[in-house]
Amino acid sequence: MTNFAVGLFHEPQSALAAAGSLKSAGFATLELMSPIPVEGVEEVLGEKKSVIKRFTFFGAVIGGLSGFLLAAGTAVLYLHPTGGRPIITFPPYLIITYELTILFGIVFTVLGFFISARLPALRDRVYLPETAVDKFAVSVACDDDKHFKRAEAILNEAGAEQVRKMAEEG
Amino acid sequence: MRYADVNEDIVRSIVETGPKYYIALATAGGITLLCFFFPWFYQLYYGIGASGMHHPQVWGTYLAGFIFWIGLSHSGTLLSCVLLLTNSTWRKAMYRSAEAMTLFSLMVATTLVAVHLGRPWFIHWTLPYPNQMEMWPNFRSPLLFDVMAIGTYLTGSSVFIYMGSIPDFAAVRDRTAGWRNTMYTLLSLGWRGTDREWHRLHWAYTFLAVLIIPLAVSVHSIVSWDFAMSIVPALHQTIFAPYFVVGAIYSGTAGIVTVMFVLRKYMNFEQYITKVHFDNLGKLLLVLSLIWTYINAIELFTGWYSGTSTEHEALNYKLFGYYAWLYWEMILFCAVAPLLCIFRRFRTSLVPMLILSIAINIGMYTERFLIVGTSLSRKYLPDAWTVYVPSVVELSIILGSFALFTTLFLVFVKIFPSVSMYEVKETMDVPGTEPTAQPEGSSA
Repeated sequence: MTNFAVGLFHEPQSALAAAGSLKSAGFATLELMSPIPVEGVEEVLGEKKSVIKRFTFFGAVIGGLSGFLLAAGTAVLYLHPTGGRPIITFPPYLIITYELTILFGIVFTVLGFFISARLPALRDRVYLPETAVDKFAVSVACDDDKHFKRAEAILNEAGAEQVRKMAEEG
Repeated sequence: MRYADVNEDIVRSIVETGPKYYIALATAGGITLLCFFFPWFYQLYYGIGASGMHHPQVWGTYLAGFIFWIGLSHSGTLLSCVLLLTNSTWRKAMYRSAEAMTLFSLMVATTLVAVHLGRPWFIHWTLPYPNQMEMWPNFRSPLLFDVMAIGTYLTGSSVFIYMGSIPDFAAVRDRTAGWRNTMYTLLSLGWRGTDREWHRLHWAYTFLAVLIIPLAVSVHSIVSWDFAMSIVPALHQTIFAPYFVVGAIYSGTAGIVTVMFVLRKYMNFEQYITKVHFDNLGKLLLVLSLIWTYINAIELFTGWYSGTSTEHEALNYKLFGYYAWLYWEMILFCAVAPLLCIFRRFRTSLVPMLILSIAINIGMYTERFLIVGTSLSRKYLPDAWTVYVPSVVELSIILGSFALFTTLFLVFVKIFPSVSMYEVKETMDVPGTEPTAQPEGSSA
């Protein structure tokens, strides 16, 4: 069981300021929840890198290879000679290659998104429904009560409308 | 308008259902059953001869409908992707419905292929799976390209609309109870709107948009090759791929205007779908109509300049033959009438825009009918010439396909938030800042 201090803010700028202060104070597990993507979050919480582009790239490569192998393999396994033309004909097979490149690129992008965004969530996590409407929340993991008091003070100082103590399993 | 109002309005559009909606759904569903499924079952029972398609005219209205619906599908996801990458803020209020149009148009299009097949229970023969008949798909055929392209496009479009809706599903989840809550809990996958989730969504969404744009272009190019790679006079033309792609985007954009009008009027989305949207879509329609007209002129010129008697006969039949009145109707609706969009006053007048958008799509369906209906009936041997007339079963199924689309769309508006909440909020003033502009549509 991990405890969290969650501060609820009316404005994104105050939430960002709170997140910045908490980070400077040494709090490591920080999250900003918001109804829209907040500009400037990377400057405060650090630059984010995702593996999605690798998923997309390798998915597309695997798709391209599969597409060509599917078409060429079919032609070789089930011979259908027509007018002395080559059995493996590149121009039409490139179209199958192209389509499967995109198909696999799409499927792997989705897979990359789910993995890197940690979705679907398999357990209950800290969440405030107000953040899906018009509020901005900063949640920070706290080891003990002393930690919580410090986080609460920082959140209040940044202008939090309220600070809640929430727990998360696991 | 505040952020909370957006949630309020969109959630209300999902959970509050008036009698008008049920009447519309029952009507559309009834027409679908009566005009689409019953005639289809009749055709399945008595065979494909129930349609007007006979040798040499083995392609008919079903395939014209297939091209039409594939074309209409180019409205949504393609336009949405292009506008996303070009950062057009006016996209945000309308793209969800446009993407839904794509999805349902594709579904209707693939169903029409099944109708055209006559024996749709063999449709799995198009898939490459080991079988004892030693019958594998011929990957040199544009028909197989089609299966791959449309399958990919359907997957891509479904994923694109779903992924963009996850944050909105979460917002609806928090405001609903009972079975709706269970459904949106499952659909939202536990989305919380954290900085990590927004970051990942942004990148995944961008990559998908980049992948889908060339895909959409390839889809209609490939549909055109179904015809252009044959050696039928009037079909065997290199201009066909761009011709089909432009035609698809054109009819799709007109389709968006129709859907936007209906949503604005009947879902009370006046604050989200503004005249600015119609103005911009009108400009787009004007540009597309000019390109479409140019390509049509080139198609005629190429046929004439070829100097071959078969091409000349095909041209003659198209311009002055049995279906000439349909050709000139198409020119009137798709090349002449859209010139009205030169005037801003016209573009921002909603009812005239609605009428124009419907006229363009009637013209675009006619175009597809003429491509299919006047080509095979006028091939090389005059003794095999015929006049293709669709049967009542065919006409009924085409009419029913519109009802099927409407039914699917009506179901959609009660499940998906038909306007993207978080993206509309992005165009509004952030809480805590001084108001600067109107919420939506002013920054085109």
